[in-house]
Amino acid sequence: MNRPWLLAALCVTVIGGSGAFLYRGLRSPSSTNTNPRWDVLDEYCADCHNNDDLAGGFSFSALARADFGANAETWEAAVRKLRTAFMPPKGEPRPERAVLDATAGWLEHELDAVWARAPTPGTKSLARLNRTEYANAVRDLLDYEPGAIAASLPADPTVGGFDNIAAALEVSPTLLEGYALAAMQISRRAVGDRSMGHSEVRYGAAGGSAQEGHIEGLPLGTRGGISVEHIFPLDAEYELAVQAVLPSAGWANPTGQLVWCDGPSVDAAFNGAPITLDERRRIRMRVPAGPQRITAALVDDRRCAGANELYLGEIDVGGAILGLTIDGPYHATGVGGTPSRRAIFVCTPESTADEPACAERILTRLATRAYRHPVRSDGDELRRLMDFYRLGREEGGDFEVGIQYALSRLLVDPHFLYRFENPPEDVADGAVYRIGDLELASRLSFFLWSSIPDEELLALAAADRLHEPEALAAQVERMLADTRAQRLVENFAGQWLKLRELPDFPSQDRAFDDALRDAFHNETELFFADVLRERRSVLTLLDADFTYLNERLATHYGIEGVYGSFMRRVSLPADSPRRGLLGHGSILTTTSAPNRTSPVVRGQWIVENLLGAHVPSPPPGAAADLAKEATPTTKLVGNTVRERLEMHRANPNCAACHALMDPVGLALENFDLVGRWREHEDGHAIDARTQLTDGTELASPTDLRRALLSRSSAFVTALTERLMTYALGRELDYRDAPAVRSIIRAADPHGMTLPALIQAIVASDSFQKRVK
Amino acid sequence: MRYVTKKHLSRRTVLRGAGAAIALPFLESMIPAGVRTASAAGAPRARFASVYIPHGCVMSRWVPSTTGEDFELRPILKPLEPYRDRLNVVSGLKLPAAYVGESSAAANHGRSSQCWITCAPQGTGPSPTSADQVAARHIGQETPLPSLELALEPGASISYLTPQTPLPMETNPRVVFERLLGDGSTPEERAARQRQLSSLLDSVTDQVAALRRELPTADRERMDRYLSDVRELERRLSLAADSALATIEVPDKPNGIPADFEEHARLMFDLLVLAWQADLTRIATFMVSRELSNRVYPKSGVTEGFHNASHHSEIPANIDRLAKLNEYHTRTTIAYLLEKLASTPDGDGSLLDHSMIVYGSGMANPNQHDHNPLPILLAGGGAGRLRGGRHIRAAEDMPFANLLVSVLAKLDVPIESFGDSTGALEV
Repeated sequence: MNRPWLLAALCVTVIGGSGAFLYRGLRSPSSTNTNPRWDVLDEYCADCHNNDDLAGGFSFSALARADFGANAETWEAAVRKLRTAFMPPKGEPRPERAVLDATAGWLEHELDAVWARAPTPGTKSLARLNRTEYANAVRDLLDYEPGAIAASLPADPTVGGFDNIAAALEVSPTLLEGYALAAMQISRRAVGDRSMGHSEVRYGAAGGSAQEGHIEGLPLGTRGGISVEHIFPLDAEYELAVQAVLPSAGWANPTGQLVWCDGPSVDAAFNGAPITLDERRRIRMRVPAGPQRITAALVDDRRCAGANELYLGEIDVGGAILGLTIDGPYHATGVGGTPSRRAIFVCTPESTADEPACAERILTRLATRAYRHPVRSDGDELRRLMDFYRLGREEGGDFEVGIQYALSRLLVDPHFLYRFENPPEDVADGAVYRIGDLELASRLSFFLWSSIPDEELLALAAADRLHEPEALAAQVERMLADTRAQRLVENFAGQWLKLRELPDFPSQDRAFDDALRDAFHNETELFFADVLRERRSVLTLLDADFTYLNERLATHYGIEGVYGSFMRRVSLPADSPRRGLLGHGSILTTTSAPNRTSPVVRGQWIVENLLGAHVPSPPPGAAADLAKEATPTTKLVGNTVRERLEMHRANPNCAACHALMDPVGLALENFDLVGRWREHEDGHAIDARTQLTDGTELASPTDLRRALLSRSSAFVTALTERLMTYALGRELDYRDAPAVRSIIRAADPHGMTLPALIQAIVASDSFQKRVK
Repeated sequence: MRYVTKKHLSRRTVLRGAGAAIALPFLESMIPAGVRTASAAGAPRARFASVYIPHGCVMSRWVPSTTGEDFELRPILKPLEPYRDRLNVVSGLKLPAAYVGESSAAANHGRSSQCWITCAPQGTGPSPTSADQVAARHIGQETPLPSLELALEPGASISYLTPQTPLPMETNPRVVFERLLGDGSTPEERAARQRQLSSLLDSVTDQVAALRRELPTADRERMDRYLSDVRELERRLSLAADSALATIEVPDKPNGIPADFEEHARLMFDLLVLAWQADLTRIATFMVSRELSNRVYPKSGVTEGFHNASHHSEIPANIDRLAKLNEYHTRTTIAYLLEKLASTPDGDGSLLDHSMIVYGSGMANPNQHDHNPLPILLAGGGAGRLRGGRHIRAAEDMPFANLLVSVLAKLDVPIESFGDSTGALEV
């Protein structure tokens, strides 16, 4: 072995560590000494991966040693196996961890050198806005919340874990019809549609225990209830009704908003003015157009003056609010002064003669934002919109119908629905070129905001200054500080960490009601947002000394001293099993079956999403084997999940892969199917003792967390790959691995934070260039 | 209290009651006397639906023990007893295409539904690919919608326009309703909106035709598909403008997807029947659930998720549990559809007399991930061309495609073979 080289590599690792930053590996060796480390591969790998045995379908001896580029796919797979410590397999001789890391580092160095000679940004298909981006774009453009309308568009396919993968975003007549109908509906509502018929919107309140306690954001002294922001389309009458099951009922108005309470008095108010309810808990009243918050809640009798805290538990809390319906508009008197009308009508024509000029002004401004490029006053784009303006002006007989028609045309324009990136003419086919600043502005805003660029970004791009590194970095910082960056949390973390699956997850545990579901969701989302906003090392995601809890969630976790519905930051001791994502109820639940834990699913999810390993599919006949062995003579039905999993170990066909996943999942067996801590399952003590492929002994979630930390380079790579997939809107493959590593190296000096990774991705050629 | 017009009951009034039992007869009452029905156009036209259930079933409780007309319905099919005369149990069929491809369990499940009515290995086959789309190509052009794709869970499809283009299946009754009946509250308003929609599509067509010339090749193909989709929409609109639907008083829309599975199923089947009754389309596909779904059906009495329950490990208690779920699906889906069709008059008979419904799965024993022999039913009178009341046992290993060849022939689709068919199974 070439020990001096190895020592050099280790020194770099130690010296390179900045502060408390625990990240290791992935740096290129500082030495240019590339004396091949073939002896390690020959000694520890080639026993199986040789021309005779061909384990996994390849042989190290068959690979050209002088040309890494020729077998880059195989070498990248080998790097991944080494970085995750999944090779050599359990039971086979393996060198020290440092040797494996050094070997991986050497391979990476060679692969990166090959890549650097001809880097490619990869190819990306023409992207259509997905449903989320469409809704955000409408919101940002028109200050109109298209929630229900956008939700009725067909769902987008999820590929590689995300729903913004351009190649998968096809159109169909159904989708197109959906876009056209949505464009007409949105434009009518945003402008204000006097002719619209009434319809009913129904909101369901959170069920289960949510109705027994205070809900965050609702008035103090109330329990349960529902609070919604409803867009009232016109100045008109609306009928509001509360569905509730109540022993006795009444109204009160502690906040100036409509509040439904149970009590002796029957009083209600809307924005301070008294209103009267009929016996069916309905009220019909005039409401001005625009968004209004409507709240209905129950007075919490237990918190009334004079109630002794000691007896709180004995007071009956019967009754619950089930939902809220809003029906209207009736007898509309006008379109009102809604935010969307303010966003659209930047001018009002004084006379008929003024109308065309005002329409041009309104439409030029909207089209520039919607199409993400300046719209010429004498071009086809404005002409098409003005054609529709005139059509509507004629059809509807007034200026506003004209604007509404033009707006519907704008919302089905391919330049709005698609993200065109046209190559310059002076670039040869197949050549790599830098995309234009306006295209860069769109890539940036769809990445960080899931929406169209704002005026500042467009102005900078139009001035051709956005690509300047300092300007670009400053824009990234500005955009991350904007409230719209919350969409990055919702859409990236929401999909990476499976939070989007929570609302429909069919867990059958009795504790899993809407309040717990929401708390799970909010915990992980607030946690991720904190790591992003506070620029914490991404390893914090694995090992944070804090999380976000409210009383309900803290009780669920067995943590004391947290009261009330408000989600707040709570410190965790060093030995807390709740540190990091592995302790989050959200992930522990969505990786369980509806009625039990599933160590296989938990293990697979962690191995694939937190370590970036690819778990192969079961070999032919695997399922049949399982059935065959499940005859009554064999023991399939064990007492615990663990015993049932022994099946996998007994069958070599299964063991090859389950040896990677099952131990990881088994180490979490102290968390039940909704993430509660448990010592027993059906009367049998939980035994979480297990061993990873590299021999690491585990006996608890804390051990697993430490094992993941010791593979921090695999975690950082996995996270960066997920983030890049999301940022680029395309699936990555082995050809992208060198780019991923170079992004990680660029982010490293900045403490390996999410903003640093985001900056490095945005600065990369993968993000800024494309192949003609 | 809440009538949109004197003639027609407001949809919302009915839905508001939230009683599933009363929510549904509404659809007849919403169709005005003047609506064009298939029968008005002359001889009754056969309609065709394929209704998919994932995860196969407990075959021993599906397949009758004797063949021919003198058979007894097994427990899973027992709820269909009232429609026995309009029902054929077709057993012994195989789905060869589902065996082709990656061996993983997930891929295998996926192919069960993807290949079911394409009868071609995943990603292969001619265009149009699935049997419903082949039928739509021939008889779908006479109606405003060539076909209707519905599901009770999102994320999968059995209908393939091309091998690479599954047609998205809609789960939201509100959206289906809008697609069938249009948007707007008066005839004038609807007409104005249809004109606006037509103008929008015309204008986009012109623009895309000009735009595509400037695009890179790959993007151009994408825009071509966009363009052909626009033209398809325009065709629908012009048919819809000619139809009697333009005079329908459209009630308020459904509010969304009901939380209750049974209510959702009834609502979606009602919309399917409405579309057939008004001759808005003659072809439909319907997925009761998708492969690998772990949905729990609280009213079935089974607490295990569907996919988990399907892996019964050949343990008797687990088999009972899956059979119970299978029976529940029969009772709440296909039995309801047949009942609804049987009670909907159409020409000189009922819609059931004038339709053909294939109900079943692309998987056989889910514990083995097998695709032979499949659980398949063929129901309806096929407008006088299909007899019922039989248990037909196919020759061993006969492809399911052979049955679809016969079904397509009864729809007057001129084909000799379909997918991997080896002939026709005469029914």
